[in-house]
Amino acid sequence: MDNQSGLWSFSTRQVVYGAIGAALYGVFSWITNVIPLPAAGNVTFRPAVAVLIFFGIAYGPWVGLIAGLVGNTLGDGLSGWGFFWNWSVGNGLMGMIPGLAMAMIQDYRSGRSIGIGIGWGALGIAVGMLFASLTEMFVGGIDLSTALVGYFTPAFIGNLVVTAVLLPILMVAFAGVTSRRGR
Amino acid sequence: MLVAWKYRPRDTFIQRLDPRARLTFLACIILAVSDAQVWDIRLLLPLFILTMVLYLMARIEWRDVWRAWAFILFLVIFIVGINGLLAGRGGPTAVLQDQSAALYKSPTLHIPFTPWSITLTITVVRSFFAITQIVRMLTMAILAIPIPYTMDPSIYGVTFRRMGLPDKASFTMDLAFRFIPTLGRDFMITVDAQRARGYELESAKGGVISRLRRLAPLIVPVTMSAIVTGEEVIDAMDLRAFGARQRTWTRQLHLEIKDYLFIALGVAILAFFIAVRVLGYGEFWVPEFWYQLAQ
Repeated sequence: MDNQSGLWSFSTRQVVYGAIGAALYGVFSWITNVIPLPAAGNVTFRPAVAVLIFFGIAYGPWVGLIAGLVGNTLGDGLSGWGFFWNWSVGNGLMGMIPGLAMAMIQDYRSGRSIGIGIGWGALGIAVGMLFASLTEMFVGGIDLSTALVGYFTPAFIGNLVVTAVLLPILMVAFAGVTSRRGR
Repeated sequence: MLVAWKYRPRDTFIQRLDPRARLTFLACIILAVSDAQVWDIRLLLPLFILTMVLYLMARIEWRDVWRAWAFILFLVIFIVGINGLLAGRGGPTAVLQDQSAALYKSPTLHIPFTPWSITLTITVVRSFFAITQIVRMLTMAILAIPIPYTMDPSIYGVTFRRMGLPDKASFTMDLAFRFIPTLGRDFMITVDAQRARGYELESAKGGVISRLRRLAPLIVPVTMSAIVTGEEVIDAMDLRAFGARQRTWTRQLHLEIKDYLFIALGVAILAFFIAVRVLGYGEFWVPEFWYQLAQ
């Protein structure tokens, strides 16, 4: 469970944690897809986003990308929403960008590391949701104002709140698991 | 311990199809229904009937699948249907900017001690949109539900490999599919265990932040347990020299004429739905008699 391997390496660890991250994100999204954000079109309230960002931070950009891309597809598929490629790519970016901060985090308990996690998570949410919302203009035929006000803003705020509340808890719990396992 | 999907071998046309043909067909239908933005129920209904026929051909026992159906029907009818009915959520512009006549208008409800009041209005357009949305989502769900029950979990990996993904990506997909029932089971066990300790999942006390915090006793144990399991899976795979050289697969897949025809049918449906949109058809449609209901 170390974070010392190369940022962009893709070994057994990335294969397994990419799959686990995707399955977790899919299952948690499926369970929480039934709680929609107010005034957010098809965007739903997803506490699972904190798990996605955590996997990016703990295991790097590939794991974050796979967990978001595949997990969103699985979650939407399990819920019967269908497949919206732009939201799946947006979720992939939301997991990948925090993964770039993996090497900066040494102690998952420290306030500094948690701050870095939330900061990079916020950046990932902004980029991922902005990508999905703006491409919705071409996919769904909505206008710029609906994309920004109706889709991006509620998704960004909702996911940011979820991340700010749940990510520190996940990071501290992960530090405990890591120290017990010794790797 | 990994939990498997309730797969059972059956001698049906659906299970004799190559899994690549089934996944390609599924992808084509999902893209046709969701991304082509066709909202005309006259085009969606025939597709719904086709997918229902394919579902029945899979001959899945009701006792195996009723839970999945109960969840999907609850989600689609109550959540999506009511959202569509009251707000047009997820609909095209014609629904979001709906100015049609009201089919039903509730008495105005004043919220005590606030200046606010609520009136629920169900319009002609939104009511028919709810029906259309339910048909769209059921069309996709009916096709996706049989996959775990009728596709052997041992061929997930080779299926994705033969669809062109690299070995590692195929194995990632294979593992992700296999982990879903295990993690779903772990989540339900965690919910039961926390409830036994007095945890109230449905409690509406507190604001958004405290309600989110209350999810931690469910999300954290499942996530950490999955991470520990992951270490064991990594050890097992490394001991078998995973990734050391190109992987071989014990199961071989062969496309037959029926598989090519099935793929062709899916591609033809997708092409038709795209062509309909490009030519300017397929917009949201409400039958004339539905408008007369408001009179």
